Amino acid sequence: MATHTAPAPTDTDDDHAHPAHLEHHFVSSTQQFDSAKLGMWVFLITEILLFSGMFVAYAVFRQWNPEVFVAASSTLDQLWGTINTVVLLTSSLTVALAIHSIKQDQVKTCVYYLLSTLGLAGIFMVIKYIEYTAKFEHGIYPGAAFDPHGVHYEHLAGMAAAPQFFSIYFVMTGIHGLHVIIGMLVIAAIAVMAWRGSFSSEWYTPVELTGLYWHLVDIVWIFLFPLMYLI
Amino acid sequence: MAHDGPHIVPKSILFAVFGGLLFLTALTVGAAYIPLGPLDVPVAIALAATKATLVVLFFMHLKYDNPVNALTFAIGSIFVVVFVAVTLLDTAFRGDLGNVNSKTVQELRAEQERQEAQAIPADSLRIAPADYPNQGRGASMGADGGS
Repeated sequence: MATHTAPAPTDTDDDHAHPAHLEHHFVSSTQQFDSAKLGMWVFLITEILLFSGMFVAYAVFRQWNPEVFVAASSTLDQLWGTINTVVLLTSSLTVALAIHSIKQDQVKTCVYYLLSTLGLAGIFMVIKYIEYTAKFEHGIYPGAAFDPHGVHYEHLAGMAAAPQFFSIYFVMTGIHGLHVIIGMLVIAAIAVMAWRGSFSSEWYTPVELTGLYWHLVDIVWIFLFPLMYLI
Repeated sequence: MAHDGPHIVPKSILFAVFGGLLFLTALTVGAAYIPLGPLDVPVAIALAATKATLVVLFFMHLKYDNPVNALTFAIGSIFVVVFVAVTLLDTAFRGDLGNVNSKTVQELRAEQERQEAQAIPADSLRIAPADYPNQGRGASMGADGGS
């Protein structure tokens, strides 16, 4: 990678001319950017391991009760699940396009793409709300409150492991939803900063790191969708 | 790099990856309607892993990044596989736990030997009328009860 050299001195007290965003303990903008990104990847690994603990719970209970998991997962709405998958994939594209834009100093386009991402994340959460309330209406709750009733859910009452499936479903999609909400807050903050002109092709690290986080939220859903809704 | 400034993934690649992701999603939903038996889960996970790989390589820029990021991600992913696989090696092969005993084999053997040592010889178990000095009592009680 070419080492970035500042176009103009911004700090007259310093012998080394450097851009305003460059911290003194970094040699170059490239090094600073690479360090930030590696740090983000390490954080993302901890996130992946957080979710993998829950995927282990899913794997163990599914292996013990395969028939119950098939019966319970077929009560989830596959259409909403598929729509939400497409919504999240599209939001991943828009956030990638936001980074694509800011790298070319297209600040306004970047803001629009960030706001599109925000909107798609909102649609995801609304659909999740519709799905959750539909389950709550029929007594499908996590844990001890599990009390299925209604034509499509009555058969679950006799299955000893059915509450376990729904506990895993609510905890996994709930923590994923929490990540979506945190992502929305961060994206909103980044959009405001971008609108105020904080980012340029010279420095856009927060946009890049937010994008990484958002893609991870998408990846978790990529695995949750087939495991919860389809098989 | 020939030019200064950040590496930019072309829009054409971003849209191609998005198209690929939509195609694989359709394939995942389609595969769920085909009865594959024991292959249901592996097929779904393989398709999801392919989608995740596309996102990581292109959307998350890992293909063009400093290789240390890819190394970090690869090591993390390996530990996820270890986590799932080693746990299942335990839980999937526990078998029937209904016939377990809290005592150790040594304790059970010692107990058996102790019982054998205390065993009464068969000769001493022989019963003769003389062994019952109070035999008249039962009869008298029976007579009392009957009167």
